[in-house]
Amino acid sequence: MSGRTAKALTEAAGLVRGPQRVLPLIHRLTHDKIRVTFDRRHLYSYATTTRPTSDAMELLIRWLLDAQRADGGIAAYYSLLTGYSESYPEVTGYVIPTLFDYSQLDFAHSDSAQPTKHESASAAVERAIQWLLSLQMPTGAFPGGLHGSSSEVQPSVFNTGQILIGLVRAWRETDRSDVRDAAIAAGGWLVKMQQSDGSWSGPGAYQGTAHTYYSMVSWALAALANQSADHRDDHRDDDRDDGRNGDLNDDRYGLAAERNCDWVLSQVRPSGWIDGINLQGHPSYLHFIAYILQGVLECAILRGRSDAIQTIANSAWVMLRKFETNKYLPGAFGEDFKNGRKFTCLTGNAQMSCVWLRLFEMTHDLRYLNAALKMNEMLKHLVPRNGPRGIFGGVSGSYPVWGAYQPLRYISWGCKFFADALMLEQRLTRSYEAACAP
Amino acid sequence: MRTVVLCSSVYSETACAMTVRLAQSGCAPVGALTLSSLDPGTLLRKLGQWGVRDVTRFAVAKLFPQNTGKREYLRNTYLKPLLTQRKQICRNLREIAGEYDFPITMCRDQNAPSSVAQLKAWSPDLIIFTGGNILRRQLLDVPRLGVLNMHLGLLPQIRGMNSPEWSLLKDIPVGVTVHYIDSGIDTGPVLQRCEFPDASQCHSLADLRNRLIAFGIDRVAEVVLALDRGSLAASPQSELDRDNQFFVMHEWLQARAVERLKKNCRSSVAAGTSHG
Repeated sequence: MSGRTAKALTEAAGLVRGPQRVLPLIHRLTHDKIRVTFDRRHLYSYATTTRPTSDAMELLIRWLLDAQRADGGIAAYYSLLTGYSESYPEVTGYVIPTLFDYSQLDFAHSDSAQPTKHESASAAVERAIQWLLSLQMPTGAFPGGLHGSSSEVQPSVFNTGQILIGLVRAWRETDRSDVRDAAIAAGGWLVKMQQSDGSWSGPGAYQGTAHTYYSMVSWALAALANQSADHRDDHRDDDRDDGRNGDLNDDRYGLAAERNCDWVLSQVRPSGWIDGINLQGHPSYLHFIAYILQGVLECAILRGRSDAIQTIANSAWVMLRKFETNKYLPGAFGEDFKNGRKFTCLTGNAQMSCVWLRLFEMTHDLRYLNAALKMNEMLKHLVPRNGPRGIFGGVSGSYPVWGAYQPLRYISWGCKFFADALMLEQRLTRSYEAACAP
Repeated sequence: MRTVVLCSSVYSETACAMTVRLAQSGCAPVGALTLSSLDPGTLLRKLGQWGVRDVTRFAVAKLFPQNTGKREYLRNTYLKPLLTQRKQICRNLREIAGEYDFPITMCRDQNAPSSVAQLKAWSPDLIIFTGGNILRRQLLDVPRLGVLNMHLGLLPQIRGMNSPEWSLLKDIPVGVTVHYIDSGIDTGPVLQRCEFPDASQCHSLADLRNRLIAFGIDRVAEVVLALDRGSLAASPQSELDRDNQFFVMHEWLQARAVERLKKNCRSSVAAGTSHG
């Protein structure tokens, strides 16, 4: 029996163990079938705000907080067949900046009920950090996969990078020495595992090969480099040296980040397509394409690399034109953005919104903001406003929910990226309004 | 000059006004090809452009003109001088065709072989596009001179949708460009490019758009006459390598464009340049 068939059978058996999930499953399938049949796939529908951003934000954060398991980790997904998954270290790490951002939002304090939500988000971050610190391997690496899903724990470059993004933010916010040490150890391991060409392949890389979407790791390393430099400046007169400060006195994290960035840029075609996703057995999902763009863009912004920003802007513009012209972004593409599949990867959509918003911030081209506003509006319409825990306020892997990317699942990273997109939208629209004020 | 008008609907005020203006200039069309108003695509487009309330209001005015007294209703009041025929508002292309004696052909797709065959039968020198489908090569090749479009923005800076709104946000003067349509989006050779002098008097985006349409119809008529005299040549657009295409604007940005419009209006009043 193939692994895929076994997985499908295990998932289906989940309904036998949890028959209460049958009705919500039928409801979601029917809902999406009706919607894809009759809904106008028409951007005019999404050029009008019908759902307040703050309401959608509340739903997403509530979903994430509900997904936190007893151990402190965030579940990877809620399956319509099997319910919540085990805790997922990778997402638990990179959801930390999202929860920090949310807890610092203005509207998080706007009425008497809000401090509770703010405190919930802060408490969730604290529990997530503690759990992550307990998982770190002596080498500094973090394990891949779902927690407890395998007896043999394998270190993962990508997951370590994603978790590092959370640790760096937690270090900045809390100035805790244990968090700082964990971040430095993770960064040190990533630098050690990097190949001379700037990629990560071999042990620790998924399927043993190099992937361009590991640019997210370069973002993490660039963030670590900046945080290390800031920490060095803040503690310049500090006599204490516990031996770790030596790791902060050079730019090795930043240089490693740029090496990876350069390797990814060498994979860019004139069409804007970026080779090297290299996921055997899977199509090039929008989620991974967006990862490449997000990782390089954020790394480039942190490192002041205008050449990389321009290259990513070219690729992001191709996607923007497709979204504006076809009224949706396919969930997966063939080479050169051809042969788009007829489902939508919602996480990838939210990530593209983040990319366009950041490009608006960098270039001031309002067309990026315009596309992101419409994308966010479309995503707001697809967040369920009713249903049981795990569905209510969640972001499904695909739309329709049976699409090829994470079928029949509401995924935590979908909520994370959409919440990021909405918070970015709010920050940038406010600053634009302020700049336009007489 | 043999001209043909392409319309999105027989009830298109812009198409009606354009046709009347051409006829008044001595270039009455030899035919009009219009999309069927009952076509689902046309209905959806009208709903998107006008909204449910205006579509209902217009439908009631058309179905019960005597009972409701709504026959005078015009979406674009700046077209009233052109659309007033014998002291009555006329916004049905059939009535105008009767007045100026040219045939109308209904179609579901302006690019369809039957539509192209009809256009060839009219043997036009010039086709004037006032709305409908994205035009394909087989149609663009029919007229001797080309297919004219009135674009509500200054080319090459602002191509695509919501041009007046984008012009406001990008601090580019509002205006109208008359150009030939080619296979790109608003990339064809330019015949006339005019800044709109009264933008600072507009109190809303709809008002600005309506005034621009009325302004643009006059510019198209001028271009047709100049082409007839042989005194005008088209110029290829510059900046074709730059992507100046703009897309449907989200309402949040439209609200910022309105603010910009009102600010310009206040500045104009303060400077005493408003014509009132």
